[in-house]
Amino acid sequence: MKLLNKILFGSLSLLFLLPGYNAFAQTADKGSVSVAVSYFNANNKIPYVVVKVKTKVNGKFQNVGGIPLKLSLNKDSEGTLIGKVVTNEQGEATAIIPQSLKKEWSSTVKHTFIAAFAGNAKYDSTSTSLTVSKAKILIDTTSSRSVVATVMELKDTTWTPVKGVDVVLAIRRLGSDLNINETATFATDSTGKASGDFKRDSIPGDLKGNITLVAKVLDNDTYGNLFIEKKVHWGSKFVSKANDFNARTLFATRAKAPVWLMVIATGIIIGVWTVLILLVQNILKIKKLGNEA
Amino acid sequence: MENSKSIAGEEQIIQDLLPRKFKNSGKILVYILSAFCLVGIYAYYRQLRYGLIVTHMRDYVSWGIYISNFVFFVAISLVGSLITAVFRLAGVKWGSPLTRIAEMIAVAAIIFASIIIIVDMGSPERFYNLFLYGRIQSPIIWDVIVITTYFFISILLLYYPLLPDLQILLRFKEKSGPRLHKFYSYLGSFWKGSHKQYLLSKKAINALCIAIIPVAFTIHTVTSWLFATTYRPGWDSTNFGAYFIAGAFLVGAGAVVVAMYIFRKWYGLEKYITLDHFDKMGRVLVLLCLLYLYFNVNEFLTPFFKMKESEAGYLNDMFSGSFAPVFWFAIFTGIILPIIILLFKKGRKPLPMFIVGIMVVVGAWFKRYLIVTPTLLHPFMPMHDVPASYHHYFPSWEEWAITMGSLAGAILIIVALCRVFPIIPIQETINEHHETAK
Repeated sequence: MKLLNKILFGSLSLLFLLPGYNAFAQTADKGSVSVAVSYFNANNKIPYVVVKVKTKVNGKFQNVGGIPLKLSLNKDSEGTLIGKVVTNEQGEATAIIPQSLKKEWSSTVKHTFIAAFAGNAKYDSTSTSLTVSKAKILIDTTSSRSVVATVMELKDTTWTPVKGVDVVLAIRRLGSDLNINETATFATDSTGKASGDFKRDSIPGDLKGNITLVAKVLDNDTYGNLFIEKKVHWGSKFVSKANDFNARTLFATRAKAPVWLMVIATGIIIGVWTVLILLVQNILKIKKLGNEA
Repeated sequence: MENSKSIAGEEQIIQDLLPRKFKNSGKILVYILSAFCLVGIYAYYRQLRYGLIVTHMRDYVSWGIYISNFVFFVAISLVGSLITAVFRLAGVKWGSPLTRIAEMIAVAAIIFASIIIIVDMGSPERFYNLFLYGRIQSPIIWDVIVITTYFFISILLLYYPLLPDLQILLRFKEKSGPRLHKFYSYLGSFWKGSHKQYLLSKKAINALCIAIIPVAFTIHTVTSWLFATTYRPGWDSTNFGAYFIAGAFLVGAGAVVVAMYIFRKWYGLEKYITLDHFDKMGRVLVLLCLLYLYFNVNEFLTPFFKMKESEAGYLNDMFSGSFAPVFWFAIFTGIILPIIILLFKKGRKPLPMFIVGIMVVVGAWFKRYLIVTPTLLHPFMPMHDVPASYHHYFPSWEEWAITMGSLAGAILIIVALCRVFPIIPIQETINEHHETAK
């Protein structure tokens, strides 16, 4: 009896301990994520923020999708909510500053973006913030084919040129941007201007020879990401090469079979089947001869 | 006196060559073949009901054992043109007793080549789309056209030489029974053997013999182009058309040798299918083996010598990898050993010839499997993120059952044809008998 009690007691203790162990194990398995916030202003229009969530697996960073985040402007409250987003497969999510925050946006020259993750079964909660100063970028060109970018910061109510900001001057291409010459970045001077000579004379443009120039401030600690575009007539006209997309080829559709193939194939088919039909007719002739006999 | 002797000889030939009812062994063979067919039909029912998922064909090997079997059937069907047309046009007289066997094999094989390609499609109810939307630029359409043409020519080439024999068969109503008599009557009661009828028939047979050779070459060349026009290791070859035709003649001749031996034994046709026939077919077979060996050397030696990186996986798999046992079995059993055996006169006796015939046919079947599967497992551009099982292929039981059922079905057609029609052309044999008597 004593032994039975011991076994029963031991079993019950194990039974109660198991859930506890399980819960403990779950806590220990939880990972942590890092959230990065970036600010963007394209062509001095509606600004937006991009958040990127990563985690470290075996010493390497991996993007984390499906993470819900709450984005706020200046303070974490319902009234300053930019939006609630969920990261995609690349671990990214984007939110534009909504119209409802116009008053908050205009009230100050510096803004803080707060991204908060409440945590889930796999990852602990975390939050991060980014503070940027309001700035804008302008682009202009000269008759001697130079590109001039101007970076200005909003101080109180005045746009003031900023010195020492690295600007990328480039041409928009299909895959990525191509710098206008061999220099990677141009620093702004005391007038807030950075200029570079356009050295891509023979670059193909659209049908009229238009290309798109772009001036970019990338990942600046104070101003975030700013860029502005301008279309110029500096490229060579795009001449579409003759292609056989709609021509009669062996790889075209049924209706676009090469004429020579159709003639040869049809000729052979008609030739052979005419002989065969004649041979069937020959049987009928033999039959007729037999019936007459 | 001589005339009465000749008539007696004629009657003897007719009695010897008339189709006979099956004995018990024949009936058992029919039951076994029918059982295989029924299992195949059940497997096909499962494939229709559950889809091609019941097969083990996946993204890598999308042409499996069905297409191997299709190529095998197309190859074996070529024998009709070899024995009937090539021999006839070349004036090879000794081949005439074998023409009917060759034509029966050709008809049976081409029927099942057509059936197996529909089985491979998975959704037979969509077959008509091939005609509605098929592109004349595609070798698949050429194959459909040429198979239909070849089937039609083979039927005509079987039918025309049968006409004089049907007249003889109609004389033996008691032996053939009312049903068969009615059938014979439907097929050839109009044949009176008049000179005019004979001339028309001869003209037609000559026209068919001329027509069947280019069509036969086309059918197998086009089948080879189904592969060769696809950019894959092992298929990217300019040698493929000739390589396929050489292999087809070999397997067809092998099948005829097997059929010769079985029919000779079954029906006691030693007087008509003689040792000389076996000796001569042996010589034909060894020539075809040597020709096919030459094409195989061409096909494999040059890529092996270069060993391009993109083809190395495929070649190594064939020569020393997972397919090596099948590859070397097919080469040795289907080509090299037959050459060695057939070079000796003793090897061209009926029994060794029968064994060689089986070796050639079995080797040829595995050779077709090797043409299809290893190439598909080694594409130039490997697929990403496919399950590990896709990298291997072994047919499912449904695939085996359908394949075995189709092979059994083809043999069943040959057996049925030899039950209904004379295996050796009676009238031609009588004519030859008269010529020899003169």
